[in-house]
Amino acid sequence: MKKLNRRSFIKGGLATTAAAMVVKEKTSAASGDFDNYPEGMGVIVDLTRCVGCRSCEAACNKEQDLPEPAVPFDDFSVFDHMHHGEKRRTDETAYTVVNRYDTPEIDHPLFRKIQCNHCNEPACLTSCFVNAYTKTPEGAVIYNAKVCVGCRTCMVACPFYIPTFKYSSAFTPRIMKCIFCYDTRLKNGQPPACVEACPQEALTFGRRKDVLKIGKQRIRETPGKYVDHIYGEHEVGGTAWMYLSSVPFDKVGFDTHVPKEPIINSVKEFLAMVPMVLTIWPGLFVGFHLLATRKDKVKEMEKEAELKKAKENDEKEEQV
Amino acid sequence: MKLFSKERPEIPIVHHTKEDGSAWTIKEKLWLGLSVAEYKKQFFRNPVNWFMLMIFAIGIPLILGRYAFGLGWVTHASNDYPWGLFLGFGLFGMVPLSASGFMLGTTVELFGRKDFHSIERLALLNGLLGYFFAVLFLEVDLGMPWRLPYPMFVSLGPAAVLFLVAWHVATYLSVQIAEVLPAFFEWIGWLKGKRIIRKYVLGLTVAGIILSTLHQGALGALFTYAPAKVHPLWVSSNFQWIHFFVSSIFGGLSMVIIASTLIKNYMGWRCDDDFKNNLDYVTIGMAKGASLAMITYLVVKLVAVAHDQEWTYLLTGWGSYYMLELGVAVVLPMFMFAFGVRNNWVTLIRFGAFIAAIGIIWNRLNTALVCFNWQMYQEIPHWKEVWITVTIYALYFLTYRFIVYRLPIVYEWKGER
Amino acid sequence: MLRRKTIMRTALALTTGAILFAPGQLLSMEAEDAPETVTIDSLASLYEPVEFNHLMHVDYASCAECHHHTTGVKVADPNCIRCHANTPEGDDVTCVGCHEADRFGKKYLAELDNPVLYHIDKPGLKGAYHLNCIGCHQIIDGPTGCTDCHAMTEAGEKRFNTGEYAPKGGAVSESHH
Ligand code: SF4
Ligand code: SF4
Ligand code: SF4
Repeated sequence: MKKLNRRSFIKGGLATTAAAMVVKEKTSAASGDFDNYPEGMGVIVDLTRCVGCRSCEAACNKEQDLPEPAVPFDDFSVFDHMHHGEKRRTDETAYTVVNRYDTPEIDHPLFRKIQCNHCNEPACLTSCFVNAYTKTPEGAVIYNAKVCVGCRTCMVACPFYIPTFKYSSAFTPRIMKCIFCYDTRLKNGQPPACVEACPQEALTFGRRKDVLKIGKQRIRETPGKYVDHIYGEHEVGGTAWMYLSSVPFDKVGFDTHVPKEPIINSVKEFLAMVPMVLTIWPGLFVGFHLLATRKDKVKEMEKEAELKKAKENDEKEEQV
Repeated sequence: MKLFSKERPEIPIVHHTKEDGSAWTIKEKLWLGLSVAEYKKQFFRNPVNWFMLMIFAIGIPLILGRYAFGLGWVTHASNDYPWGLFLGFGLFGMVPLSASGFMLGTTVELFGRKDFHSIERLALLNGLLGYFFAVLFLEVDLGMPWRLPYPMFVSLGPAAVLFLVAWHVATYLSVQIAEVLPAFFEWIGWLKGKRIIRKYVLGLTVAGIILSTLHQGALGALFTYAPAKVHPLWVSSNFQWIHFFVSSIFGGLSMVIIASTLIKNYMGWRCDDDFKNNLDYVTIGMAKGASLAMITYLVVKLVAVAHDQEWTYLLTGWGSYYMLELGVAVVLPMFMFAFGVRNNWVTLIRFGAFIAAIGIIWNRLNTALVCFNWQMYQEIPHWKEVWITVTIYALYFLTYRFIVYRLPIVYEWKGER
Repeated sequence: MLRRKTIMRTALALTTGAILFAPGQLLSMEAEDAPETVTIDSLASLYEPVEFNHLMHVDYASCAECHHHTTGVKVADPNCIRCHANTPEGDDVTCVGCHEADRFGKKYLAELDNPVLYHIDKPGLKGAYHLNCIGCHQIIDGPTGCTDCHAMTEAGEKRFNTGEYAPKGGAVSESHH
């Protein structure tokens, strides 16, 4: 309830700011009511299972019809590839990448797959001013290239650095990001291509609430194997893709400083004051104006008054 | 121009009619009353113009290239730093420096301070051009610039901060055009138009305040979408919009001081006595206002650090950088303003304004680029990106000068008004 | 090409058939009862089938380590023991007998609605193979590379952009610089 109130409040506030235009409120399905998708699907990624075979990357590349990779998908030298001191990330040619982490805690490397986490309250969606993003009831956060203007705010807002921009294109640039294989699979109840391709079942697909249960069961029944935390259960308000790890999450490239609340919550201070400014400012400043120019007016009126002494009293009443 | 204005009493043009009683045509007015040959002569005598031409010689092809080959051709195409100089400087830097329009509009029209009248038009023009070029910068940066009206008419996302920015900048731009139009109407001699606008001045000014408060603040609020990416000292979900709004007040005022200083020194022929004689007085007045805004700004900054419990960050390297920014960009010019106001030392104020304006840009670049992804590597903009930014800024400079040369901005129209 | 197709078509039947045992034995099975080799090919498409040397693996692990409680041999996992301490040999000890090839199919997802279902996290067939094999190989230093056990098919090379389908030129470095 609280959340719903907040969202409709925010929307109401900002819609009014577009005062000059009548804003159609048909956008509600896209920009609100995330909690109403309890049947949304999710994936739990188990880092202890992933062996870094990159089958998921290859599957995604074919499923999403992405450009030919620079090196074959069975070339594991990419794990040593560093860019500005950072490991690989998603870009306009790859919706998902797997990175290797060597941690002192354990004697073998861990691998971590990155793709869109399909947040419950996605920052990309809430920051987009043309409503290019939609959270579908199936749990996917999809993108509509037809209305996107390419401002790249979603890229700034996404706490996981997921959306990427097709900078290479002059005429048909667009955001490139994992869409949970929505069009081709999820919509029909099928698991995404990467999940299906994974030999290790490091990716477990199911309703978000179910895979969350599965994750908790794994933690409970194999004591000592996992750190007692499911990354994405609460991070930024919860994500559809969640992670299990045997070492602390910050050791395997996760940002453990992301807020526990949806990103939009940190914007709401501003959003809350918008209606205030809108309603209070006009009166306030017109009032200032009347006060500030009172002297001039008085002078003017006195002049007039001299001419029309008979009306003097009426005039003075008026200006008070 | 100085030369011509000495030789020929009718130049610069301040009246609809020439010495001999015939009227100036618009074309003649555009050529500043000079013959084409004379115009060329004065144009090429000015070294600034040569410098501009040099910038354009490379910059224009680069801009064309950006549209032909995509953003990736002129920038590093970074997915980690989606916003580079075009927005960091062009949008986030230009907009606060253009807050002058609403500041002086409010002072003169709302608070009835007619003593600032001589600078009002310059402030309005400064605002209009700043916004216009901020939009131009946006058009370079947007992936699909041809879809600029989408957020207004095609696909609305009213719950997003940028939606508010888009709407407000667009409406405010129209408000500012309306505010500057009277000068244009005087110049072309269409007085009816001017009178129509006069009627709405109060409404336009109030609209200006509301829109400015909100979108200046909204530009700050955009960064609260990235609470984990921007260094905590440069982002505060509670106070970010106040930081951006309040700093735009002294940013806008400083920019007008700079513009008026340049105009006074390099375009003296164009100014009338009213402008020249009043300039020191209004400069001191604006410095007073700016220093008050700066104090407010510093207090809110401090409150933000205290509220978000960020004291420990102050002890880190980032903390020193933060202190350096506040010290050089705000505290120093603030003292220069205060000292200048107290001792009537206008030159000091003018230097202060210069520092403060650079300081605003520094702060915005810090927020958008330097302290963004503070736990990651630092993105250094591509040289082409830098060059294009400079090119558009040069275009801004030229347009600014073009208008001040002609319209009654720093002088009063002597003909019918 | 043709060969692969045939394989795929007969896939399921083969795997199941290859390791089907006579039911009804009361005592636990003995390792000797097992076949010498098992052809694992039910999922083969990107990779060739695996000729699994069952006899050899019997030396490395007890039946229960791979077959859990189904062979009647006592399981070690404390979680399993909770229910399967005395479970007799099952009718079906094949992998596919329990682990479904269509891991995330609608049927399986619907099963999760059952509130008393304990095995909510039962791997699918492919997961069961790999988790079991690779898990052990990692510990005892067995082969762990994909092509150490099964060679890539042409479809696999296409999928992985490797071999004949490797990116030409190779000069196309990362998309961003
Ligand atoms: S396919 Fe599975 S095991 Fe292989 S890299 Fe991807 S997540 Fe890891
Ligand atoms: S991970 Fe990023 S791109 Fe994906 S839904 Fe969340 S905010 Fe959007
Ligand atoms: S869900 Fe689909 S689009 Fe997303 S990473 Fe997996 S295969 Fe790619």
